[in-house]
Amino acid sequence: MADQGGFSFDLCKRNEFMEARGMKGPGFTKTGTTIAGVIFKDGVVLGADTRSTAGTTVADKNCEKIHYIAPNIYCCGAGTAADTENVTGMVASQLELHRYATGTQSRVITSMTLLKSHLFKYQGHVSAALVLGGVDFRGPHLFTVYPHGSTDSLPFCTMGSGSLNAMAVFESGYKDDMTKEEAMDLVARAIRSGIFNDLGSGSNVDLCVITKEGVDYKRNHEFLQGKPYERQFPQKFATGSVPVVRERVFDVRRAVTVVEGEPMEMEG
Amino acid sequence: MAASLPMRATVPAAGSGVKQHASWSPYDDNGGTVVAVAGDDYCVVAASTRMSTGYSILTRNKSKILTFNPKCLIASAGMQADMETLHKVLHSRHVTYQFNHRRPMGCQAMAQLLSNTLYHKRFFPYYTFNLCAGLDEQGRGAVYTYDAIGSYERVGYGCQGSGKELIQPVLDNQLKAASPLVLPAQQWLSSLPLEQAVDLVKGAFVSAGERDIYTGDDVEILILTKDGIRTDKLELKRD
Amino acid sequence: MLPRPQSHSAALGPGCTGPSLANPTPLGLEPRPVRHASQAPACGAEAFVVDPVALANGQPRKHTQYPYVTGTSVLGITYKDGVLLASDTLGAYGSTKRYKAFERLRKVNDACVVGASGELSDFQFIMRLLEELSDDDFCMDDGHRLKPAEVHSYLTRVLYNRRNKMDPLWNSIVVGGFYAGKPFLGTVGMIGTSYTDAHLATGFGNHLARPLMREKHRPDMSEEEATALMHECLKVCYYRDKNSINRFQLAKVTADGVSVSEPFALETKWGYKLFQDPAANAVGTW
Repeated sequence: MADQGGFSFDLCKRNEFMEARGMKGPGFTKTGTTIAGVIFKDGVVLGADTRSTAGTTVADKNCEKIHYIAPNIYCCGAGTAADTENVTGMVASQLELHRYATGTQSRVITSMTLLKSHLFKYQGHVSAALVLGGVDFRGPHLFTVYPHGSTDSLPFCTMGSGSLNAMAVFESGYKDDMTKEEAMDLVARAIRSGIFNDLGSGSNVDLCVITKEGVDYKRNHEFLQGKPYERQFPQKFATGSVPVVRERVFDVRRAVTVVEGEPMEMEG
Repeated sequence: MAASLPMRATVPAAGSGVKQHASWSPYDDNGGTVVAVAGDDYCVVAASTRMSTGYSILTRNKSKILTFNPKCLIASAGMQADMETLHKVLHSRHVTYQFNHRRPMGCQAMAQLLSNTLYHKRFFPYYTFNLCAGLDEQGRGAVYTYDAIGSYERVGYGCQGSGKELIQPVLDNQLKAASPLVLPAQQWLSSLPLEQAVDLVKGAFVSAGERDIYTGDDVEILILTKDGIRTDKLELKRD
Repeated sequence: MLPRPQSHSAALGPGCTGPSLANPTPLGLEPRPVRHASQAPACGAEAFVVDPVALANGQPRKHTQYPYVTGTSVLGITYKDGVLLASDTLGAYGSTKRYKAFERLRKVNDACVVGASGELSDFQFIMRLLEELSDDDFCMDDGHRLKPAEVHSYLTRVLYNRRNKMDPLWNSIVVGGFYAGKPFLGTVGMIGTSYTDAHLATGFGNHLARPLMREKHRPDMSEEEATALMHECLKVCYYRDKNSINRFQLAKVTADGVSVSEPFALETKWGYKLFQDPAANAVGTW
């Protein structure tokens, strides 16, 4: 069975039965999120906040929501964290193989079609809401992909729980043919709008600028707030608070040999 | 959040059975955290000022504390409309009490009154989680903690609201909760000096603000001593 | 059968024993006559009023448990010398644009306006309550009028008491006013949730307009700046709220009194390149 690939549905019937009897299944990490993208004169800017939540608590204060698809294509993900990570990873791997086979640059439209086919096949159960952006030989492209597999091609778009807050900024600030700096400012402002107004979004602003020349991934482009208060009487443990029961000293050099040489090539 | 609320009234739409329709619940959770720490001669009370519903912030500046007199106040988290009503009722009762008795109500009396007021609505409860705090007859700090329907007990420190799972264990650890089962009975008052207690409360709120999405914006801090009430403010993150 | 104790307040309706001093009579001791003058017989006998509970066969009443004709967001901001409130003029029947000239901003007195989103018949009922109070003030002829904070507090109690009866008034209301040199801006929700702030928005406006207000609002804005901000917020709400139309009203409260503008439209832009040719980027897929 395993070598066929795809999801395993073996225990669905059992789980359905147990849930009817009152069992509660495990919860998932949802990224209550603000993600956004804008097309400007010669490229695309993608943006995301960096908070991931589990219920009402923050699970990760600085997570990455802009995923790699191809050297010229990136994708922001909102929804269930596992779904966005895996669905973008699967498409990235398919495109990698496709590039080996064809020797040409991946097109944004191809990745969009792969994403929507996969999501439509699973009828919304793979809950990934995506903002896909990239530049290929046809120029800059920006798409939203909904969990059920429908897509939109737009000059500016937002997704996630903070999508309305970010969209308000776009609706009031977007214009055609912006410069790179204008576009970056607008997207950062839209993400900030999500961070400060939507409780599901928070922490920092990530940006990803894609042009014909290449990708400028600005991880933590804006660090918005530090800790607002330092303890005046922090809990300090004096040296020796923990008794040393046993002590052993190893000489590492006897177990490990260090060889000089070139590091193995990682990137193609 | 909504799943844990006790009541939900739905009105089926005419015709089709599965049609989307407006529904409403008489309850909402507006979030927020309140903390109180009692000392030998002081009481520190703090409450976050963010008021939210669902994933949106309604206002960044809503007080959750009602001060009756320099020795008694209550702080409430939960549903704002119920909180406002409860505060109005208690305020009015406190005014009447002063007319009748020619003195402000003591903390112990207010604690019992709050319990009775909450239990009065046992079958349609106020969705509020309260702390009654102040100074007792001997001038020692007093904190009373409640559930939504009026069960209460006097404690050395307390925490209620959306951040309580994060803050309560820290207070337990730092203020050395004496188990009520330990014999002979242990003293429950916080042994910390005032500045350290305030520092602890501030530190607890900063940490809760990092991890609880409903705790943020500002914290108003009231410090009750025999000299009166001093207020302090702490800014938290606004995301 | 002895009559059931009635509350004085029409807001609470029959069968509710409210605090007897909630609405004191001018004479102090004399019980006030029944308020529904139009339904009361001229001979002075008890009015014959159908108790809606009796019609529902002992079941809880179901009408008004569902909004029919609704209004969308109301926005409000304070500025240097007053308060601005704004909304569109649509009364929507589901997603049908049913009434396009419904005025959702109403004057209460010279210091106060209210704006409502939600069920509009409930809003008309609420306006009747406020008009009764204003009429009482007028009849007393002592120059007193309800302060904005009092109107806000009153509405809070009305909506909260109705939610307690599980028969809510399906509204979010914004109260704007100017009193003692200070602007007042407050809101009440259908279950009684209330707060005041320097800027407010109900419904969708909380997601779309509030972020812009939080970015750009200052309490010392001039009227021109405040109006410009309001127009921007209205426009964004119109772009993204499908239950809205491009026909707005703006209410202003200052020391000089209340003014509600004539309906106006805002200039919109739909002509972005990719809006005009949405398929440009979708060549090769479906």
